[in-house]
Amino acid sequence: MTIGLHHYLAVAAILFTIGVFGIFVNRKNVIIILMSIELILLAVNINLVAFSAYLHNVVGQIFAMFVLTVAAAEAAVGLAILVTFFRNRGDIAVDDASMMKG
Amino acid sequence: MALQAIAFYVLALVTVAAGLAVVSARNPVHSVLFLILAFFSAAGLFVLLGAEFLAMLLVVVYVGAVAVLFLFVVMMLDVDFIQLKQGFARYVPLGGLVAGILAVEMIVVSSTVASRGAASANDAPMAATDVSNIESIGRVLYTHYIYFFQASGLVLLVAMIGAIVLTLRHRPHARRQVIADQVARGPKSGMRVVSIKPGEGVGE
Amino acid sequence: MVDFWATPGGWTLITLGQILLILVPLLLLLAVLIVADRKIWAGVQMRKGPNVVGPFGWLQAFADLLKFVLKELVIPDGADKFVFLLAPVLTFGLAFVAWAVIPFAPGWVLSNINVGILYIFAISSLGVYGIIMGGWASNSKYPFLGSLRSAAQMVSYEVSIGFVIITVVLLAGTLNLQTIVEKQAGWFWNWNVLGGGLKNLPMALVMIPMMVVFFISSLAETNRPPFDLPEAESELVAGYQVEYSSTPFLLFMIGELANIVLMCAMISLLFFGGWQPGFPTPFLADWSPFAASLFGFVCFFIKSMIFFFLFAMAKAIVPRYRYDQLMRLGWKVFLPMSLVAVAIVAAWRVFAPAAGA
Repeated sequence: MTIGLHHYLAVAAILFTIGVFGIFVNRKNVIIILMSIELILLAVNINLVAFSAYLHNVVGQIFAMFVLTVAAAEAAVGLAILVTFFRNRGDIAVDDASMMKG
Repeated sequence: MALQAIAFYVLALVTVAAGLAVVSARNPVHSVLFLILAFFSAAGLFVLLGAEFLAMLLVVVYVGAVAVLFLFVVMMLDVDFIQLKQGFARYVPLGGLVAGILAVEMIVVSSTVASRGAASANDAPMAATDVSNIESIGRVLYTHYIYFFQASGLVLLVAMIGAIVLTLRHRPHARRQVIADQVARGPKSGMRVVSIKPGEGVGE
Repeated sequence: MVDFWATPGGWTLITLGQILLILVPLLLLLAVLIVADRKIWAGVQMRKGPNVVGPFGWLQAFADLLKFVLKELVIPDGADKFVFLLAPVLTFGLAFVAWAVIPFAPGWVLSNINVGILYIFAISSLGVYGIIMGGWASNSKYPFLGSLRSAAQMVSYEVSIGFVIITVVLLAGTLNLQTIVEKQAGWFWNWNVLGGGLKNLPMALVMIPMMVVFFISSLAETNRPPFDLPEAESELVAGYQVEYSSTPFLLFMIGELANIVLMCAMISLLFFGGWQPGFPTPFLADWSPFAASLFGFVCFFIKSMIFFFLFAMAKAIVPRYRYDQLMRLGWKVFLPMSLVAVAIVAAWRVFAPAAGA
């Protein structure tokens, strides 16, 4: 019952597909889409850390840290855009976002 | 080893189940709470892999800050989320099919990579050495990756300014406290002595 | 035969015993402290405080406990039942989980992990969720607004607490709480509040203000007066816990109190040498290890209790802040101060001739 690299990779793969699936099925709800993106990035991080641990190389963890940074920045800006969009429209449906004028 | 295996399976199961709940929950607040659970158990997986610093970072940054942001926004927006959920059932079959194929492909590829590539040479995760996880990260991060580190700081700065610029509203009639004015206020500016003659009043 | 205590089952039993060994005295201590807090408060106002139940009223906490537990649990109509009940349990649990890495005395620590400080920081950043979830799940406007208010407060002050912790970590050169305390051995000038050693004495100019910032931020972080805006019972409705009654309310209260004691312990660990008595202790070598550890524990306990006394005094003598003043203090005063302090300490560690590693 040893846990190998492929166990972690499988978890990451499943999480990644859940994220993609979430974007698929929640096409109207921007918040859930943003959360699905966070899930995808988390899956990527699990991959990076797992490889880093099994290759005995710390660089993977440093890349995971950078992914974390960018994901935090992305969430902040994304939510700020969302709030502004909601103030202008009173709704957050993605379909309406195709209109260019606020 | 058995304990580790149990811990791995429990954490992995919770992560995946919470991830599934994030995309399928009816109430977006529940989605955020499940997202927190997913991140938390993923941090547990990181600990199992020996990346304790990154695990704590994940909890502090994601669970402590980003998820709070999500929660605030979800709770404050007065949106009919039931209406946004429409079309969910329509997309599930196709989405499920695509996701299933993707998952199978990725698992097959990754297990091949894990058993054939350079990673197969080491069948155990990084062993604990006398140099702690944080120290080894710091040694590489502040030497080889210092420019990337600085750049990521810049990314955060830009994101911060961007978020403030996007959401800041100037309310002209909001009255703000000006501490300096309050401190500078003395008897001369704050008080007026009026001598009142009997029977006349102030008469303003 | 294999030694039973080395098997996974034995290991689990040992760990469970250790957890109980921390939890039970801690809960008893909280019961005493809640009365002590009220007694100090009463003493400042020249009142008697609780004096009916038991000798001098010291059993008041147990009477309160019984009262809470026996009352009816009211769950508001339209509340999100699961989240509503999860919130107090979360607050309660997180407040005690953090104690796992606190070193009480030499060797007396449940789990001596390398990222001890980060672990405590992470756990305390999770504490916000109990409040947000409780306020939201009540399905009422007052608790919701109260929870947003206190969540914003906690998140803001966490930032400056983080930076203050970084200054200590820079001085100590480790994130392991046990090692941080061990480095402050010897005379009291080796404590981090005075820069950690005579060679670093100039850093006392930075570290003493940082200690004050940490103390005030922990008042705000644990929603203690003068920053108790989340509940402010005399001015606002009771914030996020308006709808709570009976045992869930009790869990919130105990969790809050455990967090306060945790913060007191953190101040004495980070700045005042934890279990180090403040003078060299060569005589401890002759003592049995248990007696030596006990001696250290008493030092740690006394220091923590002094800070709890300060917490109680702050509650009694300082008027409450207004919300915008609170935010101004956190973001415009403490954050720049602690950022500058991090820069100064880092520069000292790199450039000072005597700093040493």
